[in-house]
Amino acid sequence: MSNNQYTRYLKDKYNINVIVDWTAATGNDFKQKVSLTIASGKLPDGMVVDDRSFMTKAASSGLLYDITDLFQQYQSSQVKDIMASTDGRALENASYKGKMVSIPNITVDTDGVHVLWIRKDWLDKLQLPVPKTVADIEKTAKAFMDSKLGGNKTIGIAGPSKNTYPYSTFLVSSNNMGGFDPIFGAMDAYPGYWLDNGDGSVTYGTTTDTTKKTLALLADWYKKGLIDPEVGTRDNVGDPINANQTGIFFGPWWNGGYGNGDSFKNDPTANWQAYPVYTDDSKWNAHMKTTGSTYTVISKNAKPDVVKAILIMNNALVRDEATFDLSVSVGWYPLRNVLAAANETEYEYAELLKVLKGETKPEDYNKPNSLYKLMYADAKKVQSVIKPPYEELNVGNFNTSNFGDFQRLYSILIGDRPFTTIPIDKKVFSVTYNQTPTMETKWANLKKMEDETVLKIILGQAPIDSFDKFVKDWKAQGGDEITAEVAGLLKK
Amino acid sequence: MRKLGHQKHYYLMLLPGMVWLVMFSIVPMFGILMAFQNYNPGAGLLQSQWVGLENFKYMFQLNDSKTVIVNTFIIAVGKIVLNLLIPLIFAILLNEIRSLRYKKLVQTVVYLPHFLSWVILSTIVIGIFGYYGVVNTVAGMFGFDPKLFMADSGIFRQLLIGTDVWKEFGYNSIIYLAALTGINLNLYEAAAIDGANRWQLIRHVTLPALTTTVVLLGVLSLGNVLNAGFDQVYNLYNPLVYSTGDILDTWVYRLGLQNLQYSLATAAGLFKSVISFVLIFISYRLAYRYADYTVF
Repeated sequence: MSNNQYTRYLKDKYNINVIVDWTAATGNDFKQKVSLTIASGKLPDGMVVDDRSFMTKAASSGLLYDITDLFQQYQSSQVKDIMASTDGRALENASYKGKMVSIPNITVDTDGVHVLWIRKDWLDKLQLPVPKTVADIEKTAKAFMDSKLGGNKTIGIAGPSKNTYPYSTFLVSSNNMGGFDPIFGAMDAYPGYWLDNGDGSVTYGTTTDTTKKTLALLADWYKKGLIDPEVGTRDNVGDPINANQTGIFFGPWWNGGYGNGDSFKNDPTANWQAYPVYTDDSKWNAHMKTTGSTYTVISKNAKPDVVKAILIMNNALVRDEATFDLSVSVGWYPLRNVLAAANETEYEYAELLKVLKGETKPEDYNKPNSLYKLMYADAKKVQSVIKPPYEELNVGNFNTSNFGDFQRLYSILIGDRPFTTIPIDKKVFSVTYNQTPTMETKWANLKKMEDETVLKIILGQAPIDSFDKFVKDWKAQGGDEITAEVAGLLKK
Repeated sequence: MRKLGHQKHYYLMLLPGMVWLVMFSIVPMFGILMAFQNYNPGAGLLQSQWVGLENFKYMFQLNDSKTVIVNTFIIAVGKIVLNLLIPLIFAILLNEIRSLRYKKLVQTVVYLPHFLSWVILSTIVIGIFGYYGVVNTVAGMFGFDPKLFMADSGIFRQLLIGTDVWKEFGYNSIIYLAALTGINLNLYEAAAIDGANRWQLIRHVTLPALTTTVVLLGVLSLGNVLNAGFDQVYNLYNPLVYSTGDILDTWVYRLGLQNLQYSLATAAGLFKSVISFVLIFISYRLAYRYADYTVF
């Protein structure tokens, strides 16, 4: 891992010699290793953490290098542009108490906007319209099940597995495959988010009446058998989707394409399309994510030269990653940190269509150091992957012979279409995406209560009225105290 | 001193083990100090703020602590009892089989799950008890409605204990089979001449011969009472079964590694260690009294 195309490139071009202390598999293994490293107080010079609480814990313990000045000095114009595309939110996200203590990761805003993914070919078979509201989805799921389009074990709507969540939260605000986020949005509910009431006070979204109503609805669907009966206990939400047992699930732009690749392999006619879910009065409400979820932290004990090297590595990767051979897993690039302009997918969606329609040529995008670093590479590929007509893209328009290219372009052109072409009526941001001091001790307990209550209500193991008791307990066991702290953040 | 010189190669052989013990068992013990601190990784163990018993007080204020202690006890005791009895019964039954080939085959097959980790087995267990799993399919033939076992807090503990016994009974029966081969065959012959049938042979010859082994294993497992099996629970549970499935180890893991409450997690871990220590102490006394077993 300390000898691959990326490390050799760093050595040749910048004379940066990377020594890898440790690696770990992604997911829980990685989190565990990061957590233990922080607990030991002995950080490597640079390390990527994938949870903001890791970064703030290390910062509040005084383990991190203040890179405020060095970053200003060494960031490339490209990195600067990408940072600017977030209107300062990325810098704030990477800072602790006003000091920049990590290199932020910036991902496209679309990662936080979850849409309805549905099998258009199944709709066509049953001559059904695209469902728009929650009531439409209920009817469609029932029709899919009654016609057994996914075989004898057809599932109406896929739901979260034991490692994903019923909805995104302020701490994990994006990429929630299989969650019910669009249903909550369509009911004007934003569980897991801290909501600004506009009068200086805040409310925790899970404790609201609209959340309670949505839970009652989901419980009703579960009882009617419309939701995956194994919701909450499955190993992987992708299993029934990839096995083509279901025609409906919710998730962000890349979930169709990257997320359900095997579904296309198992059934080349699986015409997954993405749409928003509307309220009864035709509004599209969406919760929005924070700028990114991983952070490159630099040890307080790192030598200034090492800090500079890490900043240069970041610049170099942003500029040249598109030129590397993608068959080598990017997981082996030491300190890889994704920096993408917040609107990258929308920009690519629009420009790639222009290329397809012949309005622009791939060469037009040959701009080194562009803010949109993958645009030129994608523009060169798009015509060989997508066949006309371009007005309404279906799975049949795509050539799957290079599956990696297919997945990327499917995700952008199908998955990102709603976000790019349909205005969102109400964008909801959480007042904070971080933990307050009291949360550090009390949140684990409150979150456990919340997870337990929500799942039990959906699965019908607890009556909907247990929600009221949960709200009362939640407030008494530290919720009120934390709410006051979050309200305090509003004043700043 | 001359004796020491005489036996120096033995002590030399002991050395690697001692070094290992000091490095991985004695040195980490200083980490226990965290339980009495508001641990700050930047300041380290010596400079962190001391808070006395604060962490323990907070731990017992949480409703969770009672739940996980109760769960740990019930699950662990269930596992200990059944992991003693089922292998015993299995070993006796296997011993009655005359075909050596068949005996060997059965023994090999039931060993197998012991060598698989819970990461792999959990997927199999979830598959078997899933909504469309084997159990529900069979139950469906008899007209029962499918049930989501993995989400049912009412039976989650039984499921944990049952699957653990299934994984381990073959392996645990080895020690009984070994004890069985040690029984003097003359005893069986004598009893048979006195007119004992097969059942009476088991009751009056086999079982009494195994009593010491059962008592010894039972007493020694006392020290394990609080180890209800992190791997298994962690791989099988979900928020729906926290109320009956969450155990001390999974709780410590969530507090310490996922929520970064190092001090609180250490306090919970220390609490577990102290109770375990007392139980081990008692079990050694009992082992000495009833089975004449001592390590030292």
